Amino acid sequence: MNNFFARVIYLILIRPWLRFFIGVQFQNRSALKKKQQYIIIGNHNSHFDSLSIIAALPNHKFQSTRTVAAWEYFGKNVLSRRLMSFFFHAILIKREPLEGEPFAIDVMDLELKKGKSLIIFPEGTRGTKGEIQDFKAGVAILLKRNPDIPFVPVYLDGFGKVLPKSAYLIIPLVCKVRFGEPQYARQEKVEDILDFVQEQVSQLKSPDARNNNHFGID
Amino acid sequence: MKIGNLLISLEVIYTLAVIFTVLIICSTIFGIYYSKVKTPFSKELVIRTKSWWYIAAGVALLVAGPFLPATILLSYVSFVALREMFSIGFFRESDRVGLFVAYFSVPIQFYLAYNNQYVQFLYFIPTFMFVGIPFILVNSGQVQKIGRSMSLIPSTLILTVYMLSHIVLLYHVKFPGFEIGGGSLVLYLIILCSFNDVFQFTWGKLLGKHKIMPNVSPNKTWEGLIGGVICTIILAYFLRFLTPLNGFESLITGFVLALCGYIGGALMSAIKRDLGIKDSGNLIPGHGGAMDRLDSIIISAPAFYHLLSYFIENR
Repeated sequence: MNNFFARVIYLILIRPWLRFFIGVQFQNRSALKKKQQYIIIGNHNSHFDSLSIIAALPNHKFQSTRTVAAWEYFGKNVLSRRLMSFFFHAILIKREPLEGEPFAIDVMDLELKKGKSLIIFPEGTRGTKGEIQDFKAGVAILLKRNPDIPFVPVYLDGFGKVLPKSAYLIIPLVCKVRFGEPQYARQEKVEDILDFVQEQVSQLKSPDARNNNHFGID
Repeated sequence: MKIGNLLISLEVIYTLAVIFTVLIICSTIFGIYYSKVKTPFSKELVIRTKSWWYIAAGVALLVAGPFLPATILLSYVSFVALREMFSIGFFRESDRVGLFVAYFSVPIQFYLAYNNQYVQFLYFIPTFMFVGIPFILVNSGQVQKIGRSMSLIPSTLILTVYMLSHIVLLYHVKFPGFEIGGGSLVLYLIILCSFNDVFQFTWGKLLGKHKIMPNVSPNKTWEGLIGGVICTIILAYFLRFLTPLNGFESLITGFVLALCGYIGGALMSAIKRDLGIKDSGNLIPGHGGAMDRLDSIIISAPAFYHLLSYFIENR
């Protein structure tokens, strides 16, 4: 039931607000309909990133898609945890687990084995200058362990201007969620998978090569 | 003619009917053409015509709908144009507060226009915003390259909000013996601007040889400009039943609107050339961004309003 309410809120409030007020354009959304289960991998500049990706999901995929987020940032209080699980179906993972607690990769692996799809930002944190930082290896290990689950690269273009790190004001500006086609990472080595994934995400950058995630002059 | 609670003049209904008939014919022809020949060109035609349907529906709401929804639609269009200009321009990280405040001038300006508070309407952006936004920028503490942002943000407001809100003032035009209503003036303005673009483009493609400003826009030629101006003047003369203008005045209006459309296009091409982009966005499929469509009407709207007031007052 919670899922239903959350989806209704997305459909009647969040998605129209994103599209018509903020100016988010969803591009190639049909890529999400092509496979049953996937890992969505994108660059990370803003809190709006996961919100827009989830708003772009097809309705029947909403329930089975979970966002991976940092426990250190979002797990601080009960309200934040509740909201994160209501709107984002968040898996809050600890960057440095205590003794006896499972590793982050094992937690995500378990979710994939359950048939859930994941949204992962492998940069680990929101970039400050709008550049794509080097991806952390975890996502490659995850893909290596699950070679039959495709990944969907997504490039988030412009969200770093709408709400960058350490900012509170939300400014409406045109930004794009650009999905790539689902792909399988079948390379042997973890490093090769990581390079492949990162290249697929960077390829979706805007054709005029402008960095729209950062204001030009400063 | 009375439809529900709305009073729409027959002139407006006939003109809209003609526009929609042309659109239906175009859609049918291009649709058949696309089903026979699948080329990028024919697909482009279909996409463009589909976008024209949305634009025509918006125009129909503007001219035949009630005043309040028309104003809200226009203010939204203005907001979209402003958002687009802020998205393509280069600003500083510390300009964020200034950009945020600048958006609030849209509802205020259109509220003033809606209430016909003409004096406040005229000075709100040129004085308050031209002082307020630079002051907000100063308060951020960053002075490096502040002059650029100080001038860019208020000028963008003039271009997208101030100029466009003159359309709302057209609804308030009252003239004894002219009972058609403000909607028809808006329709006259929009038709002349759109067809002026089409005429200049077509004449330029057909005969264009001598470029006016090759550094700014290679598409602008003397042949296109002159052919467009003549065609627009003729159209303005034959559509003058939508306005209180007499024959001679409508000829002058057509000439001025055609020139303003040309100026708007040139300004926008120069801005885009400076920023290194081809289109200002991809909001309207096949047409580019909102500012690519609005560039001519932005300059024409105040010109048309003031020309009209001048003619009416000096009768």
